[in-house]
Formats: sequence, C-alpha cells, structure tokens
Amino acid sequence: MSAQTRTADPRTADRPAPPTTGPLAGAVAAEWTKLWSVRSTWWTMLAAVLLTAVTNLQLAIYAVNANTNDDPADDPGTVTVGSVVIDSLELTQYAVLALGLLAMTAEFGTGTLRTTLRCTPSRGRVLLAKAAVTGAVTYALGLLLGGVGALVAAVVLGEWGEAPLGGTARDVAASAAYLALVGVLALGLGAVLRSPVLTVIVLLALLMIVPLSLQEPGITALTRIADGFPGVAGAHFLAGDTDPYPPVVGLLLLAGWTAAALVAARAALRHRDA
Amino acid sequence: MITLRGLTKRFGATTAVDDLTVDVTPGRVTGFLGPNGAGKSTTMRMILGLDRPTAGRALVAGRAYRELRHPLHTVGALLDAGAIHPARSGRAHLLATARSNGIPARRVEEVLGLVGLDDRAAAKPGRALSLGMGQRLGIAGALLGDPPVLLFDEPVNGLDPDGVRWIRQLTRSLAAQGRTVLVSSHLMSEMQQTADHLVVIGRGRLITDAPTAEVIAGSSAASVRVRSPRPGDLTALAERLSADAATVTVDGPDALTVTGLTAERVGDLAHELGVRLHELTPVTASLEQAFMALTDGSVEYAAGRTSPTPHRIEAR
Repeated sequence: MSAQTRTADPRTADRPAPPTTGPLAGAVAAEWTKLWSVRSTWWTMLAAVLLTAVTNLQLAIYAVNANTNDDPADDPGTVTVGSVVIDSLELTQYAVLALGLLAMTAEFGTGTLRTTLRCTPSRGRVLLAKAAVTGAVTYALGLLLGGVGALVAAVVLGEWGEAPLGGTARDVAASAAYLALVGVLALGLGAVLRSPVLTVIVLLALLMIVPLSLQEPGITALTRIADGFPGVAGAHFLAGDTDPYPPVVGLLLLAGWTAAALVAARAALRHRDA
Repeated sequence: MITLRGLTKRFGATTAVDDLTVDVTPGRVTGFLGPNGAGKSTTMRMILGLDRPTAGRALVAGRAYRELRHPLHTVGALLDAGAIHPARSGRAHLLATARSNGIPARRVEEVLGLVGLDDRAAAKPGRALSLGMGQRLGIAGALLGDPPVLLFDEPVNGLDPDGVRWIRQLTRSLAAQGRTVLVSSHLMSEMQQTADHLVVIGRGRLITDAPTAEVIAGSSAASVRVRSPRPGDLTALAERLSADAATVTVDGPDALTVTGLTAERVGDLAHELGVRLHELTPVTASLEQAFMALTDGSVEYAAGRTSPTPHRIEAR
C-alpha cells in the first residue's frame, strides 16, 4: 500500500505530483470548471441579459408615458436610470438566481453529488467553493445586467431620464451585490430542499409572496415583519431608504438570510446520506 | 488497506450492514460478494464517507474518508458509473475531478488513454455515453490520483467481452503493484478468475473472509463421486458413509455422490467394507456453488430452489 511496496509500472510511471494547492482552492477550481462546462449556464446568462433589456425597456416606456399622457396626476417627472435598473430586478433576479439554484440541485438530480463529495469530503468546503463561484459569477453578471439595463433605460427615457455617473454606478454596483446574495441564497436553499421546483417555490414565497401578503393589510406590525424578509430588506438597501432602517442594515439582513441558508445547507449535507 | 470495525448501517427498521469487521489488505484483489441487497454498495458508500455509519468505523489507510484533504490521492472509486451530468463532456467531468485535488490537466489525457477513450468519446456529453463508456470514464476517474486504494462497484457491468478481459487484467495489475483493490460483483464466475481473496456477505452480515481457493475447497458443495459395479455393495457403503456424518446422494444403481468427506476417507471406508470401486473422483465446486452454499438462508428473496437429484439419503 505504501509507495515503497509498489513496483514500477509504465501505466503510472508518470505519477501526478502531490498537490501544492489547498483543498479549498481545488474545490473552487472544480466548481468553476463544472459551471462553464454545461451549456445551461450560457443560456441562463443570455436569458438574464434579454430579460433585463426587455424589462428596462418596458419600465422606461411606462415612465415616459406617465409624463406625456393627459393625466398630470401621475407625472413622475424625470427619473434616474439607476432607479429603473433597480425596479427591473424584481423580475430579472429569477433568471440570475437560477445559476445558484442549478449549481446545487443539478448535483442531486444527476447523482454527481457523490463524485463531488468524494473529491471534497468536507461538506462545508464544497458549499464555500460553490458559494464563492456563484457569488463571483452572479456579481459580475449583475454588473453586466446593470450596464445593459442602464443603457436601454437612458436611450428610451431621453429627456425624462437622468444618469448622474456616480449615482448610476452606485445603483449598478448595489444591484449586482443584491443579485450575488440572492444567487447564493438560492444555492443554499437548493442544498437543503434538493428539488429545483421546490426551491423556486420557496424562493418566490420568501422574496415576494409572503412579504407582499404581510404588507397588503397595511398593519404596521405585519409590515415590520415583512421588512425582515430578504427581498424587502434588499429593496430597502437598493432604494437607499433610511426608514425603517438604514440601507446598510437592509444589506446585512439579506446577507444574514444568505448565511443562514448556507449554514442550513451544511447541516443538511453533513447529516444526510449522499 | 481498508479497515472495517463493527461497521453497521440501519435504515429505519432495516439493518443493511450488520457489525462488519473486515481488513482488506494490499497486494491482492479482494472480491466483495453477496446476493442483491446484501449491503455491498452501502458498505462501499460508508468507506467513501457518503453514508454515515449507524455504528462502527470504516477507515482507509488508517483514516476516516471525511478527514482526507486530497482523497483522490489515497482512494479511487468507481461507483454508479452513470453519475455524470448529462450535458457535461467526459473530459470536462474528469478535468473538474482532477482540479478538485490539485491533479494536473495532463493526467486527464493519460487516464483517458489508459481506459481507451479517444478524443471523440471524451468530447461526448454524459447523456450520449453508453454504459460501457460510462464505466471506462468512471475507471479513468478512479485512476486520476494514482491512489494506493481502489474500490470498484460492479466494474464489468455493461462491458463487452474485451472490456471484461481488460478489467480483469487491470484489477490484477493494480493489485500486483501493491495496491488494495476491492471489487464488488454479483458475477461469481468473474470473481473466481479475478479475486485472490473473498469477502462474502449476506443480509449485511459477514459470511466468510478467506482466500478464494479456500472458499471453493472448503465448501460443503465439494463432493466425491463413487461408482461400483455391484449395487448391493454400494448400498452398504452408502449406509456406512451416512453413519460417518456424510451426505450421500444416490445418482443411480451404480453411482453415489458423497459430500462432507474427503475422497481419501471414502476410499478407506470402501476398502474396509471390501467394496469394489470403478470410480472415486473428488468434484471441486465452482465458486457459484460455494457461494450458494455459503449464502443459503441469507438470500433476501430466495427463488423456489428445487433439488436436481431426487433420491437423497440425508445423514442427519
């Protein structure tokens, strides 16, 4: 079993050198390779870009119409392209979080999780590697989407749009951060729930359905509870609201949800048989 | 070296693996045999840290799999070969596997050559791979880290005769290099030709852990054929043999099959009684027969087995 007892053999004469990279770096490299070696990644990104362009087009047309129709009551005046980009996230986020979701649920569906865990037996390290790759890719995609959305919005808004460089850059960077956190949240939930359909349903409930239902009656206590949900917290962060809490608290709340999902995912992977 | 100590796995009320204590040693091919549902795959998954044991330990090279930092350099495994993403190419699958353990990309090309997958086959997406190609890809993955311990779960599944011969030679040469090689199979004839040592389990329990030759020789299915031209003498011999705790089957007016005694002992007894013999042949059981004898009663779903010989004189 030891190297000394093994006779030389041409098959394996060219033995791989012992790894110099750490196991986390290896796990990240493996996740990166896996992400880009399936075509669904590219299709998802293309879908996200098209959805962003169309949604920003539509929102910008609404803003122009509101200012140019016969009803002066609904005139918003000029709007920033950044605000249009942020409003478009409500829809486009679902294309982006599919990346995080598929990175995990595809492993259950295809049985590759067993290979992944044999390569990297530490469940926490697998999740950390997946979160790093998903987070980095969704952040970069978020910047691209913000750029595309801002461009479309600026062109369509014309005289009704404002695009201060600093403000727009901040809005684009903030929406990319939001998308990265939601993408990793989807990854963590996918690891706990395993089924992609169930994960999408839970995400829809967390990001939209439950907080919307809580806000609907206009009862302060319920609205405060809704403020704690990841989508609402993210929206407060993106809008730069100071009420009910400063924007940074909104960001931290969303990050807290993402971290909690990863902790739950680690517990699930550690205790479940693969 | 693979070390199992009191390894136990229960799923609810079912005990899949029951207090298994086995050492799988290097330098030989160890066959892991058992009827369907005996717990072979569950045992292998526990060795690889995929299933958590209910009790006991499974160690590889003295350590639990989950503690290994770069496990592919210690253990290579072929487990359900179909486990590749349907849209990912075989080469990308191996590349991701290699990178996870810091194995250089050129090693991927080496193992692809080693298992006989050409560029065209390696570029195919998982969904387009045949069962045989999937097996070869899985074996390529097991060899990536050039590990001293190898586990193959049903490796000849889906392979053509050439592939079966190739697996046989590969497992034997890996063992000859001093590696620990554990091969599970339901093909007993295959194990007879490949395995030096057998670990047989039934209903999750260890039935035997012994060299292959010993399992076959020591089997109750090993027998002695006796023929005599005088039926009366043969009846007397049968009674004497039965008294000596043997099982005697009457094959016809002039022939007996004796199990439980050596040919030498049968010959001596015949001589004592003055029985003239025309034949005294030890019949070695095949591994298949030995296996059936060993796992008798532990088969989860035993088919209605009928005795091929109608005339039986049971000794006890």
